[in-house]
Amino acid sequence: MSSERDTPFVTDDTQVQTETRDARMTGAGADNRFNSKLREAFGSSPFILTKFDNFMNWVRGSSMFMLQFGIACCSIEMMHTYSVKHDLDRFAAGVPRASPRQADVIIVPGTIVSKFAPRMKRVYDQMPEPKFVVGMGSCTISGGPFQEGYNVIKGAEEVIPVDIHVPGCPPRPEALIYGVAKLQQRIAEGESSPVTVKPYELEQFNDLEQDEIVDKLAEQIDEDDLVMRYNWADSP
Amino acid sequence: MSLEEPTPEDGAVEVLPTEGDEIADLLGDLVVDREEHVNAPGFVIRPDTVQETLTRLRDEAGFDHLSCVTAEEREDRYESIYHLTSFDDRQREVSVIVPTAKDDPVSESAEPVFRTADWHEREAYDLIGIDYDDHPDLRRILLPDTWQGHPLSQNYDQDRPQIVTLKEWENPLAEDHREDEGDTMYVNIGPHHPATHGVLHVKTVLDGEQVADVDPDIGYLHRCEEQMCQTKTYRHQIMPYPDRWDYASSGLLNEWAYARAAEDLNDIEVPEYAQIIRTMGAELCRICSHMLAVGTFALDVYGDFTAIFMYAMRDREKTQNILEDLTGQRMMFNYFRLGGVVWDLPEPRDEFFELIRDFLDDLPEAVEEYHDLITSNEILQSRTIDTGVLPPEVAKSYGATGPVARGSGIDYDLRRDDPYGYYDELEWDVITEDGCDNFSRLLVRMREVEESAKIIEQCVDLLEDWPEEERNIQANVPRTLRPDDDKEIYRAVEGAKGELGIYIRADGTEKPGRFKIRSPCFSNLQTLPEMSNGEYIPDMVASLGSLDIVLGEVDR
Amino acid sequence: MLPLQSEILLPERIAGLLGLSGTVGQIVGGLLGAFLIANLLLVQTAIAGPWAKRKITAAFTDRIAVNRVGPFGLAVIIADAVRLLSKELIIPEGVDRPAYDLGPLLVPFSALLGFAVIPMGNGIHLADPETGAVFAFAASSIASLGLVMMGYASNNKYSLIGGLRAIASNIAYEIPLIVTAASVIIFTGTLQMSEIVAQQTEPLLTIAGVTVPQWFAFVNPFAFVLFVVANLAEVGRNPFDVPEAPTEIVAGYQTEYSSVYFVLIYLGEFIHIFLGGALAATLFLGGPAGPVLPGFVWFLIKIWGFYLFTQWARSAIPRLRIDQFLDVGWKGMLVLSFANLVLTAVIVGVIA
Repeated sequence: MSSERDTPFVTDDTQVQTETRDARMTGAGADNRFNSKLREAFGSSPFILTKFDNFMNWVRGSSMFMLQFGIACCSIEMMHTYSVKHDLDRFAAGVPRASPRQADVIIVPGTIVSKFAPRMKRVYDQMPEPKFVVGMGSCTISGGPFQEGYNVIKGAEEVIPVDIHVPGCPPRPEALIYGVAKLQQRIAEGESSPVTVKPYELEQFNDLEQDEIVDKLAEQIDEDDLVMRYNWADSP
Repeated sequence: MSLEEPTPEDGAVEVLPTEGDEIADLLGDLVVDREEHVNAPGFVIRPDTVQETLTRLRDEAGFDHLSCVTAEEREDRYESIYHLTSFDDRQREVSVIVPTAKDDPVSESAEPVFRTADWHEREAYDLIGIDYDDHPDLRRILLPDTWQGHPLSQNYDQDRPQIVTLKEWENPLAEDHREDEGDTMYVNIGPHHPATHGVLHVKTVLDGEQVADVDPDIGYLHRCEEQMCQTKTYRHQIMPYPDRWDYASSGLLNEWAYARAAEDLNDIEVPEYAQIIRTMGAELCRICSHMLAVGTFALDVYGDFTAIFMYAMRDREKTQNILEDLTGQRMMFNYFRLGGVVWDLPEPRDEFFELIRDFLDDLPEAVEEYHDLITSNEILQSRTIDTGVLPPEVAKSYGATGPVARGSGIDYDLRRDDPYGYYDELEWDVITEDGCDNFSRLLVRMREVEESAKIIEQCVDLLEDWPEEERNIQANVPRTLRPDDDKEIYRAVEGAKGELGIYIRADGTEKPGRFKIRSPCFSNLQTLPEMSNGEYIPDMVASLGSLDIVLGEVDR
Repeated sequence: MLPLQSEILLPERIAGLLGLSGTVGQIVGGLLGAFLIANLLLVQTAIAGPWAKRKITAAFTDRIAVNRVGPFGLAVIIADAVRLLSKELIIPEGVDRPAYDLGPLLVPFSALLGFAVIPMGNGIHLADPETGAVFAFAASSIASLGLVMMGYASNNKYSLIGGLRAIASNIAYEIPLIVTAASVIIFTGTLQMSEIVAQQTEPLLTIAGVTVPQWFAFVNPFAFVLFVVANLAEVGRNPFDVPEAPTEIVAGYQTEYSSVYFVLIYLGEFIHIFLGGALAATLFLGGPAGPVLPGFVWFLIKIWGFYLFTQWARSAIPRLRIDQFLDVGWKGMLVLSFANLVLTAVIVGVIA
C-alpha cells in the first residue's frame, strides 16, 4: 500500500483542481466574484452549499408558475393539459400567470412568424431568472408543416433558448405533461440551463470593467446604418 | 326549415336578376368582358368603375354580401375578384373581375360600398401588391410594415433575407405614447395578453375606463397557408393544412371547405354514405368548437379558469375522444379525402355508435348545466346584454357570418342556404337571435350545439341502418388531378365561425395556380371597432370573446 | 391601558411567564406576542396561498391539483415560497423607486396590524384598546395606499388602471363596510373588541334545549350579508376582483412585480382575506365563541370558512364590469348600509 492509499479520501480540492476551479478558487484574479467568503470558509466543494444547491434544484423542479401564453394550434392542447382531464397542476406546474414577471416557465405553443418573433423575445426577456422554455410542437422545433413559408421562423430556438422540445403536431396533452415532467426532472437533477448573469447585473456589481475597445466600438455604431433581418429564412 | 329553399313569394318580391344575362343587362356598359366561373358568372370591368358596379349590384340586384376579395397576379395582368352573393339567397352568386395593368396595378377601392373590403384589399395589397385608390388606410395587414416585396406575387424571391435598417423598423421596445398631450391613454393589448385568444394585437385608445378607439392589428400568426396550399398537390397534400386554419378543433369543417371546392372543380361525386360520415364528423367538430367558444367567453367574463371553462373542456374531451376514434387524431384530423373520407367508421361499429349516443344522451344535461351556470346568471346577463351591439346592417356590410351574424338576427346559414353534404336531408333548424349583443352570440352558440346534436343523432341512425354492401366511402378519383387551365371556383361551407370559402384557380398542373381562403374570423374581427368603441374595457374584452376568433384563421 | 374585564392579554401573559414586569415586560411581551401572532398568520397564509387555494379551486373545477410533491402535495408550499423568493427581482426602468418598493410592504403589514386587536380566543389577543374596531378598519385601509403606490409607481399602464380601480373599489366599499360595522357598534355601545365579543355570548333564545347565542349574524342577518359582500370587495375577490382582472388588465397593480415583492403582495392579499374573515367573525359570529372545541380552534374555523367562501365566489361568479361594480357600491350597498344603520339605531333607541 502506498502512502496515497493510506490517506483517507478528502475533499480538499486543492489536489484536484480543474481549470475552471483553478480559476475560481486560486483567486489568481480571473474571476474573483465566485470567491465569496462563504465558499472560502467551506472549501471548494462545500457540503452545505452543495446540499443547498440540491435543495434549490428540488425547489425549482417541484413547483413552477407557467406563463399564460397561447400562440397557435398547440395552445388548444395546452389548455386541455391545464384543465380537467389532464390537470398539469398535479405536477405543481399548473398555475397560469398572465404577467411574465411572475412566471417561471414559458411554453411556446405554436408557429412563430416574423412579426411575432420580436414580441416573443420581449416577453421572454421580461421573465425573471431562472426561467425555462418548453417548445411545444413541431413548429417550435423546425417550423413544422409551415417550414417553407416566407414568413415562418424555423423553430423557436432561433429566437429564445429552449430547454425541452415536445414534438407532435400538436403534441397530445400527455406528451406535454411528459415534457414538463422531464423538464422538472432535469431541473431537479441540476442539469438545466444555468442562470444567466445579465450585463446590467455585472455593471451593478462592478464586475464589468470599463473596456476601452467596447466603448470605442459602441461609439462607432451609427443607428441609421444598423440593419436587422427578420426573415430568418436561411438562418443557420 | 331544412328542406325548403327560401323562395320568394310570387309577386310579393320583385324577381332579382340571377342569370348571367340578366346581370349583364343590368350592368350594361360597365361590363367589358364575360367569364364563366364554376360557381358563378364573372364580369370583367374597368378598374375605375368598381364602386359603380358594386353599388349597382348591391342596390338593384340584391347582392348585399361581399363574401371575398381575391387578388392574384396573372401572366399579363393583376386581377382582383369580388365574390358577391346575397344574404337572402346564397345560391345567387356573381364574380366581378377587375384586371389591372402589370406596370401600374391601381384599382378603385370597394370600401365605400362594402366595409368588409377594407381589410380584404389591405391583404391584397400586402400579399399581391395591388394598389387601391380611395382606400382609407392602405397599409400592410399581415406582414410587418417594413416587409420588402409582395410574397404571393410572381417572381418573389423568398430566400432573399429581409434586411431593413433599424430606424425603419418599428421597434417593439420603443415608447408607445401616441400623443403627449391629451386626455386619452394609448394601450397595446396584446399580442401576448390573456384576453386576445392567441396573438392578436389590439391598439386601444382609452378615455379613462372607456374605449375611445380600437384598431386590431393582425398578422402575428400569418403562416403562409395560401402559399403552402399553392405549392402542394390537390389529391393528398393540401388536405392536412385546412385542419390548421381554424385549429379550435373545427378541423373537419375546414377540410370540408377544401374538399367541396376541389370536388366541384374536378367534378367528383361523393358517395352518400361518405357524405353522412362527413356530416356527422363535421357537426361533432362544431360542438367541439362552440364548447371552446363558450368556455373561453366565460373565461373572459369570469376572469379566471373557473368551473365553466373546465366543464366546457370536459365536454370537449368527450367529443375529441369520439373524433379520435373516428379519425385517429385529437385535433388535426386529416380525415377527408377528395371524393370521400379516408376510412370507414371504426370497428366494432356498435361500440362507436354507443359512444356517440352516450355523449348525445348526456349533452342536454350538460347544456342545461351551462344554462344554469352562465346564461341564467344575473351578473353575466348584466355584463353581456346590450353590450357589444352589432346591428344587422353593419354586420352585413362587414360580411359577418356564422354565429356572429345569426346573433344579429341575420338568418344565414350555408348548410341550409347552399346545401352540401347531407344537410338538406336532415331535420334541423337555423338558430337566430335578435339581440345583436354579446349575450345573443353566446346563446346562438349554445343553441347550435343542441342543433348539431340533432344532426348527429340522425346521422347515427342512418349509418346504423346502412346496408353493409353499400358502404362506399370513396368515389373513384384519379391518382393525379389536373383540372383544366383557367378553371376558377369559389365555394364556401359553414365553418364553425361562419362562411369559410375557398377560391381555387387551376393552371393545368396538379397544383392550384391560386388558392385563396376566405376566413370567417377575418371578416368577423373587422366588426370589433364597431362593437366596442365607446364601451368599457371589460365589454371590449367580452366582445372579442363573443366574436370567437381563432387567430390561425384570421391570419392564415 | 388596562382591559376592563378579567381577560389577560397575550403580552401580559408572556411577560408574566418570563417573570418580567413594568415597561420591560410590556415591551418584551408585546414584541414576542406580536411575533407569535404574525407567524401564526404567516403559516396560515402559507397554507392558504400556494396549497389550499389550488386544492379548493381544483375541487370546484373537478380537478385534483398538486399531489406529487410531499403528502397531498403539501411540500409545494415550501417549494413555492422558496422558489418565488429566490427568483430574480426585476426592477423595471422608470419606476418610481421608493413608492415601488414601499407599496408591496404596506399591503401585508397593514393587514397584520389589523390583527393586533382581534381576540382569537384562549387569551390570544394582542391589544384591546377601547377603539379596537376603529383601529382594525383603519389599519386594513392602509392597504389602499399600498395599492395605489404600486399602480402608480410601476410605470405600466395596466398597473395604473389596476391601481385606480383598486382605489375606486376601496373607497366605494369601505364606507358600506364601516357603516354596517357601525350598526353592530350601536348594539354593543362600545368599540372595544373584547367587549363586543363578550356581549355576543349572551343567549338570544333557546330552541329545544339548544341555546342560540346572541351573535349579531343571528340578530341582524341583513347586516351580516351586507358586511360579507362589502368584505368581498374589500379583499378583491370575485365578483369584485376588478382591480386584478387577469383577462382585462393582465394582473392589475401587480403586473410589474416579481420575486420577493410578488410574494409580499400575494401574502398581503391572503392576510387581508383572513383579516376580513376575522372582522366578520368578531363582529358578527361571536369571535372565538363556539361549543365543545376551544375558542382558538373556532376562530380558525370561522376565518377559514370565510376564506373558503371567497374561493367559492371566485370559482363560480362572474366579474362585474367596473361601472356596475361602482354602481353596486355607491347606489346599492351604501344606501342599504345606511338604511340598516338607521333602522338599527331606531330599534336600539326604542328598546333602550
